[in-house]
Amino acid sequence: MTGAQSRVVTGQHRIEALLREFAPQVLAALIRRYGQFDACEDAMQEALLAATLQWPGEGVPERPRSWLLAVASRALVDAFRADSARRRREAAAALDPTDCAPAADLAVHRTAGLTGADGDDTLALLFLCCHPALSPPSQLALTLRAAGGLTTAQIAAAFLVPEATIAKRIVRAKQRIRDTGARFELPAQPQRTERLGVVLHVLYLIFNEGYTTSSGPALQRTDLTAEAIRLTRLLHRLLPGEAEVAGLLALMLLTNARRAARTDTDGRIVPLADQQRDLWDTAAIAEGQAILTRTLGTGPVGPYQLQAAIAALHDEAATAEATDWPQILALYDVLTTVAPGPVVTLSRAVALAHVHGPRAALALLGTLDTDERMAHNHRLEAVRAHLLEQAGDTIAARDSYFRAAKMTASLPEQRYLELRVAQLHHPAATNPIEWNVST
Amino acid sequence: MKYMIMMFGGIGASTQNRSPEWVDGMHELLMKLDTELKESGECVASDSLADPSQAKTIRFVDNAPVPTDGPFAEVKESLAGYWVVEVDEERALEIASQVVGYTEYPMEVRRIMEHSAQP
Repeated sequence: MTGAQSRVVTGQHRIEALLREFAPQVLAALIRRYGQFDACEDAMQEALLAATLQWPGEGVPERPRSWLLAVASRALVDAFRADSARRRREAAAALDPTDCAPAADLAVHRTAGLTGADGDDTLALLFLCCHPALSPPSQLALTLRAAGGLTTAQIAAAFLVPEATIAKRIVRAKQRIRDTGARFELPAQPQRTERLGVVLHVLYLIFNEGYTTSSGPALQRTDLTAEAIRLTRLLHRLLPGEAEVAGLLALMLLTNARRAARTDTDGRIVPLADQQRDLWDTAAIAEGQAILTRTLGTGPVGPYQLQAAIAALHDEAATAEATDWPQILALYDVLTTVAPGPVVTLSRAVALAHVHGPRAALALLGTLDTDERMAHNHRLEAVRAHLLEQAGDTIAARDSYFRAAKMTASLPEQRYLELRVAQLHHPAATNPIEWNVST
Repeated sequence: MKYMIMMFGGIGASTQNRSPEWVDGMHELLMKLDTELKESGECVASDSLADPSQAKTIRFVDNAPVPTDGPFAEVKESLAGYWVVEVDEERALEIASQVVGYTEYPMEVRRIMEHSAQP
């Protein structure tokens, strides 16, 4: 790549980062001024598109936020005009020629829009996108577009679905928000805590979608993990006192730190125990640990903080053998009390195997066999297979790996599991591999 | 012209009793071919299907659609994955032959109907 080309690429990255930062602020300002979340969101997308086309050639305007707001407002008015005469009157009344106050704009730019009203606006926007009336796929798509500033095409590429699918999902989600009469405001307590839980869950799902794809050939989709971390970081800056927000950010950083070591050059899964630990991102680990240390004990201990603490213990071990499994097991015991569920039980079984041996863990897995929620979960079979292998029961282990391979919808996982079946058929080629569920 | 190239069989149908090296080689071949077809622009769509043991069949029973577990056809006849490629027939057959040459397992190549009238 030539120097000039690399400058252009860097410029585009900078522009994209700038647009994503301003997107929620501009959208919130539009909604405050004109109401109508769905029309405002369309207008904001138009402004982002215009910026993507114009800024690389003409340079970033002096006041990018004002520029976006002006272009979006124009787009909104055009839409209103095209719509109906009634809408046209509303728009004319709402459109003030002294539209973009430069002083306020500069102030916002300096503080990155994260204080006072602007911060509340971004929060209100996240709460709206993660409205409980929406299905999780709609919450994810709308959050990425309205709060994240991603285009429909980018979201579609990240989720490996046609662009038209995402476009329809977003239109329906906005329609649904209009129908429920949801307001653009911060929910009052006690709903606020509950709604924050939904926002965190949506961000967690976006991260997981990027980190372990539920289907398709690529094991990780970096864009989604990066976007989830960026939005969670933003939320953490807006709500520094919320321990679970900090916990989720720490969990994402501490997990994502291992990304480079998770697959080999051929795209095969590398289990935690076999990972080349010098590939782990030490800066991300340090940041995650610092957030966690700052947070633990400041609020009620929730599942994200506990999972982050477990991830931190894995990250701190210089070798797989040095992992502090008794401490990890103790944390899973707490997690079982705070947020019980079959997935937690499954992860706890892995820790239990390291501390008390595979037979104790197999007994614990037995309690999940009647759990409806785990009926088609390949992880249960994969963990069982691994434990059976550890216990020396090769034939039963092979059957379990085979069943797990049939159940998974992830190609890399299927490939890994099929290979384990073949290896147990040919004991000479067997080398014990750790199956890890805590990642 | 568009062709659908279809693979059959569930997990294990073509891999049963094969060595780890063979299984690994098969995945390698499929992934390499998939990448090549996408990079050359010949591939219009491709997907692998989850194992048929996870499938449900909806049957019309007593005047109502009723879902039941699993397909009851032979697993080895069940669709496992497909490529839709925009190529001539010769090339479509050649692509399928590359896979069958390794797996020794049959594949089907079918022309896709056009939505417009042919000139």
